[in-house]
Amino acid sequence: MQAVALEGVTKRYGAETVVAGVDLAIPAGEFFTLLGPSGSGKTTTLSMLAGFVQPDEGRVMMGGRDMTRVPPRGRGLGMVFQNYAIFPHLNVAENVAFPLSVRGAPKAEIESRVAEALAMVKLTGFEKRYQRQLSGGQQQRVALARAIVGHPAVVLMDEPLGALDKNLRYHMQVEIKDIQQRLGMTVIYVTHDQEEALTMSDRIAIMERGRIAQMGPPREVYEKPESSFVAAFLGEANLLPVTPEGAAARGPGGALIQAGAGSLPGKGGLAFIRPEKLSITAGLADAAPNALPGRVLHASFLGNTMRYEVEVEPGRSVLCDTANAAGAALHAPGADVTVSWNAADSRFLAG
Amino acid sequence: MNDKILKPGRRALLGGAALLAPALAARPARANGEVIVRTPGGVYDDIMRRHVYDPFTRETGIAVRPVAATTAKLFAMFRANNVELDLIDTGNGQLITLERMGALAPIAYDSWRWSKPEDVAPELRLRTQVANFVYCTVLAYSKEHFPNAHPDSWADFWNAERFPGPRMLADMAAGSPNLEFALLADGVPKDQIYPIDVDRALRSLTRIRPSIRRFWDTGALSAQMLADKEVVAGSIWNGRLQTLIDRNAPLAYTWNEHMIQVQALGIFKDARNVAGAQRLIDFMMQPHVQAGYAKELIYGPTNQKAFEGLTPEEIARMPGGERSRRSGFYQNVTWWEDNRDRVNRAWSRWVLR
Amino acid sequence: MPLGRLPAWLLLAPALLLLLGMFLVPIGWFLVASLQELGSLAEILEEADAVLLSGAVGGALINTLWISAVVTALVLVIGYPVSYAMSRASGLAFTLLLLCIVLPYFTSTIVRTYAWMVLLGRNGLINQLLLGLGLVSEPVQLLYNRTGVIIGMTYVLLPYMVLTLYAAMKAVDMRLLQAAESMGATPLQVFARVFMPLTLHGVVAGVLITFILALGFFVTPALMGGPGDMMIAMLIEREVELTQNWPGAALMTIVLLVVTLILYGLYSRFTTDEKGAMP
Repeated sequence: MQAVALEGVTKRYGAETVVAGVDLAIPAGEFFTLLGPSGSGKTTTLSMLAGFVQPDEGRVMMGGRDMTRVPPRGRGLGMVFQNYAIFPHLNVAENVAFPLSVRGAPKAEIESRVAEALAMVKLTGFEKRYQRQLSGGQQQRVALARAIVGHPAVVLMDEPLGALDKNLRYHMQVEIKDIQQRLGMTVIYVTHDQEEALTMSDRIAIMERGRIAQMGPPREVYEKPESSFVAAFLGEANLLPVTPEGAAARGPGGALIQAGAGSLPGKGGLAFIRPEKLSITAGLADAAPNALPGRVLHASFLGNTMRYEVEVEPGRSVLCDTANAAGAALHAPGADVTVSWNAADSRFLAG
Repeated sequence: MNDKILKPGRRALLGGAALLAPALAARPARANGEVIVRTPGGVYDDIMRRHVYDPFTRETGIAVRPVAATTAKLFAMFRANNVELDLIDTGNGQLITLERMGALAPIAYDSWRWSKPEDVAPELRLRTQVANFVYCTVLAYSKEHFPNAHPDSWADFWNAERFPGPRMLADMAAGSPNLEFALLADGVPKDQIYPIDVDRALRSLTRIRPSIRRFWDTGALSAQMLADKEVVAGSIWNGRLQTLIDRNAPLAYTWNEHMIQVQALGIFKDARNVAGAQRLIDFMMQPHVQAGYAKELIYGPTNQKAFEGLTPEEIARMPGGERSRRSGFYQNVTWWEDNRDRVNRAWSRWVLR
Repeated sequence: MPLGRLPAWLLLAPALLLLLGMFLVPIGWFLVASLQELGSLAEILEEADAVLLSGAVGGALINTLWISAVVTALVLVIGYPVSYAMSRASGLAFTLLLLCIVLPYFTSTIVRTYAWMVLLGRNGLINQLLLGLGLVSEPVQLLYNRTGVIIGMTYVLLPYMVLTLYAAMKAVDMRLLQAAESMGATPLQVFARVFMPLTLHGVVAGVLITFILALGFFVTPALMGGPGDMMIAMLIEREVELTQNWPGAALMTIVLLVVTLILYGLYSRFTTDEKGAMP
């Protein structure tokens, strides 16, 4: 059954359409992420789910019911805000108890649920603290505990980890995911951080200018982008301009390019290939499909990988990541190399 | 309190008192030979400028500048030894207090050139002050509200059953509350009002208090309350009332039991232009000058010869004339100056009850 | 040198000097000089007995406290929604609201009070309206009694409350209200459990400012009050103006000062309290 669905939802502010006919169907228990750059409409979409913003067209469905005109308090959602929205005049326990106490839950139930939620976010013992006595990570946990304390079927999270440092962010990603799975909640998560989206989500919807550019499981959208926007937004991507030639195409230096999927319009398009799918060998090999001779411009050591920037024609270079595996050869800047890839790992994109 | 004022050393002590009165801190620029006069201000200044100050300047070349100053400010000036003005045109009570403080110069009657001292009644011509006009507090009523029978005495005014309607009397802040009228209403004869039995007067006021909408503290307020029909009867200075009547307000008054009060002139003995102030007094006391401003102010001249320049109709409505003296009485300001502290406290207590 | 490095007392010095020179010195000097006029302590005590105990100060003080309390309560009740609207409004609406609140201050207190007289008088606009609509059979007395004093003072003091509350409300993070709403709070709960507590320090400050200003009121009650509506500042003014009794005025001033300081003490206790330490 669909926990949440958006049907043709549109929102305009004046002449500007911020969300344009978005359709979504999110099954119960799914970790669903709205990913996109700022201004792509993801936060407005979330606000319409929460009920803070009324759509101009379309319907918001929850558990099969039309919730479009229901105010936020009637939607029974948990929510984690970007700035945490911790009430400064209430202590941790009172903050977490808030969703229960406004509904008039019995005192004993409030106490046990608050204790349970705080235990889940590892904040037991912090009950009497106030916001100003908490670190950013602790505030984030309070916000999380408050969102889940009422065991809502759906929890909305608006860039909840944006203000945390990288290390803490990783820990919280794991914890959020863990809690989501233990409670079997449906989570709708908004972020502009593609790595976070890939790590946590069951499915990702990538938004571009008010529309969903592509939607699917992380691996699918990462490996099989349907547009250069999606390809470039999800991590590093090599996008080589090509012109069609039969089923294949001609790329930089007239090299023959073959791709496992996608098609090109007659005026030409792009060949997409992730840096880690490229292999790099010393010397200039003979011409072959999906092999480009070039010269190393930069070689960066990234820990577990080496990143090479290889110039394949004047003014154009490709990125190539290789694992720092045992016995892996290194290429110095200025060295002549050949980069190559399997046709199955690349796609033609319209541009 | 007034005797304490004469203690030695207190002037030095209060020397900086004037700092508290901001207007005193800066000395106004003074034209050469100019006479600065304290006046009640407002329309009064316009009338006096026309009839007294400007003719005086034409005659002598001495400019006259009226300024406003409250009694407290006058006292603070003297205490601070920083007298900013020369001539004081104010109620005779304040001048009595200033004289007791030793602030006033004697009036130079023997050097008068324009006026004759003997034309002014002796009781209005004292050592350090001379009256420039008399005014009176009368019982005014609304002709609309009382078309037939109207209150004609203070006993009538106190009779709220026979003459119902909101009314007003003077507040302590007006200078003195109408204790005299309270005693008259209580049956005290006119010639036995002073010394005032304050407790008896306040008991009498208590009886009419439910009908009193407001005790007025300024002449402007008393006129406004009658004009706006906030009250249908009240005590009021005759000049203020006459101005309303002349503008066709449906108001009238009785000459019966009115209280005559005196406005007078005095000169600060430490003033910079005592001589100019003496000459201005001399000039102001002339019969034709007095007739001119008295007619406009609708107050009574103090130079008996001034009545000769007035029509019988004008005299009829002026206080201090023959008729006025028969039906009214003079306020005893000496009693008031002796008892103002005591009455002020008793009044505040009574008003707050 | 960045401003933040300067010691706090140095930054405050100009304000403190101004306060000292323009306020504390004259007041202290006035009190000392006035009381010295009496001479000995025995005379001071005698005057204190005459002025404070057997005088009208007790009654005036009760009046003053009562009127100030009622006015403060009214100003709060009226000011709170106005401040809220202002804190939510933007652009033209905000400018208009601010103008409505502040514009009357461009005229003098006396002019404003006279305007009230035109409205509230026995034959004023309000009474004509009430009579015309047949709501009353004879004029309601809105002026020259305590009602008049309270209406006038409420009007004059409203901006102090509104501007104080506005500052507190503007500082409230609106996302907190949205968050509370999403957690199931009804509008009333959002107000009572989030917005109100978050603006409470503004309410306390506004109430204190209004009340203390009300304690010293003089012109409005003098012009709009009835015979019994004497406030302590009027009493002080009479001592100075009518009877030139500076020692008496000084003693009354001390009473007013002490009452004000006690209230201020209560206020600062409340605000530095752990619980009261608002963000």
